[in-house]
Amino acid sequence: MFITDIRKEFYEVVANQRVALLVASDIDALCACKILQGLFHCDQVQYTLVPVTGWQDLSTAFLEHKEQFRYFVLINCGANVDLLETLQPDDDSVFFICDTHRPVDVVNVYNDSQIKLLIKQDDDLGVPPYDDIFRDEDDEEGGDSGNESDEGSEPSGKRRRFDEGAVERRIDRQRAKREWEARRREILFDYEQYEYHGTSAALMFFELAWVLTKDTKDMLWWAVIGLTDQWVHDKITHMKYVTDIATMQRHVSRHNHRNEDEENSLSIDCMRISFEYDLRLALYQHWSLYESICNSCYTSCNFKLWTLNGQKKLQEFLADMGLPLKQVKQKFNSMDMSIKENLRDVIEESSNKYGMKDIRIQTFGVHFGFKNRFLASDMVHATAALLESTEKDESASDNFIKALDSLSRSNLERLHSGIDLAKKKLMAIQQTVASCICTNLIVSQGPFLYCYLMEGTPDVKLFSKPMALTLLCKYLLKAFVHSTRNKRCKLLPLIMAAPKDVEKGSVIVVGIPPESETSDKKNFFGRAFEKAAESTSSRTLHDNFDTSIIELKTEDRSKFLDALITLLS
Amino acid sequence: MFCEKVIELIRELHRMSDGQLPAFNEDGLRQVLQEMEALYEQNQTDVNEAKSEGRADLIPSIKLRHCCLLRNQRCVTAYCYDRLLRIRSLRWEYGSVLPANVRFHMCAEEVQWFSQYKKSLASFMRSLGGGEGLDLTQDMKPPKSLYIEVRCLKDHGEFEIDDGTVILLKKNSQHFLPRWKCEQLIRQGVLEHVVS
Repeated sequence: MFITDIRKEFYEVVANQRVALLVASDIDALCACKILQGLFHCDQVQYTLVPVTGWQDLSTAFLEHKEQFRYFVLINCGANVDLLETLQPDDDSVFFICDTHRPVDVVNVYNDSQIKLLIKQDDDLGVPPYDDIFRDEDDEEGGDSGNESDEGSEPSGKRRRFDEGAVERRIDRQRAKREWEARRREILFDYEQYEYHGTSAALMFFELAWVLTKDTKDMLWWAVIGLTDQWVHDKITHMKYVTDIATMQRHVSRHNHRNEDEENSLSIDCMRISFEYDLRLALYQHWSLYESICNSCYTSCNFKLWTLNGQKKLQEFLADMGLPLKQVKQKFNSMDMSIKENLRDVIEESSNKYGMKDIRIQTFGVHFGFKNRFLASDMVHATAALLESTEKDESASDNFIKALDSLSRSNLERLHSGIDLAKKKLMAIQQTVASCICTNLIVSQGPFLYCYLMEGTPDVKLFSKPMALTLLCKYLLKAFVHSTRNKRCKLLPLIMAAPKDVEKGSVIVVGIPPESETSDKKNFFGRAFEKAAESTSSRTLHDNFDTSIIELKTEDRSKFLDALITLLS
Repeated sequence: MFCEKVIELIRELHRMSDGQLPAFNEDGLRQVLQEMEALYEQNQTDVNEAKSEGRADLIPSIKLRHCCLLRNQRCVTAYCYDRLLRIRSLRWEYGSVLPANVRFHMCAEEVQWFSQYKKSLASFMRSLGGGEGLDLTQDMKPPKSLYIEVRCLKDHGEFEIDDGTVILLKKNSQHFLPRWKCEQLIRQGVLEHVVS
């Protein structure tokens, strides 16, 4: 069931209890977790935090902790599958789920006792009404027995007529039941066909903090990072992002209200969050401007930097703005002040000439101390790189802990190491995109485009992780759309496969929806993958919380693809 | 060579660097004291001789022996003092009852010193906190809050806290627990205090 009053129905329930937090591995979940931890520290609620990477992890963690805990809080996992059936809990376990994955499974919505959803109900959910999907069996039995008792009490003369009437009624009832079941299947199919994302979990918990008036600037910053993660990884539409930014802007101005005093100005070390209408260049303040332009998806795709022509256009662009190459290629912090002052406006003007109308995006930046300025997207890239780092001897939970630490302001070295890793990751993505486009690795299979990264590709290990592969996939599709002349191909979705585990012989397969200006980011590959795997009995593992990301045995790849082609044509 | 035996004693302590207490080297100490006595006797006779017969050429050897005596004294006091410091830290680490193998390594005087140190620490702790007493040996650093956040560094299995509830300590899980329950595990290195 949906929770209406998050303070009464969630926070006050768990305030005196011990809680188990099961947190998924994405940045939004990490931020939500940090906010909730902050609240729990304030009120001294004892908890245990367990990172989970997929359904198997979730089940194991639940089994290990179900004896000791009655209340479980699931962050960014658990809403889109029938949870009670997957976990088989005891009757007194209560689950609080704050998940951005949609659609929410109908059993989770209509269960009143054990599942509480921390999700806003006006969030464009479209849940089918109860009567359309669930039907009490009692009505039917009552109807039958009522008729039979009627039959028994009537004198025998009229029995035959009543018999016929009863048989007709039964046939009618059965037909109605079949029709109802068919309609139900249709409704459920429509409801569960497309997968998409809802409001950020970090935002939900920040609102809880605000309602409790225990929100701090740190929590606000984490909420902003959670929202920006959804935008960076292309999970929500542009409209929703702008709406949520407006909500955050109200909170930011409320927090900044105290800074306006001239007499009691805050020290430079205090944290200040400010609204920025900043450039869409990844990590540009921590890199050189040139590198940032080359390695950001938006600029790279618009200039087509994998071609010689594209490189020339970039040089023209820089010359048009009057930025000397030497300045642009050195670290951003060392650029001349005269250049940095009007940089954003200058770049915006020139980009308009080159067809890049949205080079600036609304976002927030944080500023504490003299040296430390970060944009929200910088933090997302850094933390994502730490979360999915492929160093040896580091398990998924080690990376989770490192990424969680990097979000605290006291762990700046961790954050800077994250930024370095993010730079490497972005460069690897750009190089892979360039090589895929230049060697025509993207093939049209009819209903979708397909690309397979061979084992020997440089940096292919980076792409064995779901978030990195999804990012590569999106950049690749954008680049492809810009580079191809085939009008039909521009509207196709993309499926990408990369080797995941060389010893086990498995690949990770990701499907993303087609690229368009007004895309609603709804992904149908989750169901498609399931059906294709069933029909070919391929050995797949649907372990990720995003159903459009699966693991598949390398040998089954071709038959799986064929099944998909037939399914989607 | 003079002063070599006393350097042996010092090296012995230096080898056990992480606060462990080696056995009290009675023999070594006795040998050093004997050496000092012998040096002192020789110096006495030489000084008398130098004074009575005016032999100034004995003075360098007197000076040498005196330096050796001072060096021996310095080393012996360093040895004893270092052991004392180690025994003091044992009180903070193990509590007021020392394990038998550690007590075996202490000489009778050290045991006596230890019991007196215990008494004065106890009376000091009793005098704190407005007459109620405060156990200072419970926390490694001054505590800032009732509950702390800890991270599990290795798989430790199940762990029971005061009200009977059991917590599963798995690697990389984080927990928010009462401070006093975690201290022991933090000392053992199973948990790590997370300061955010």
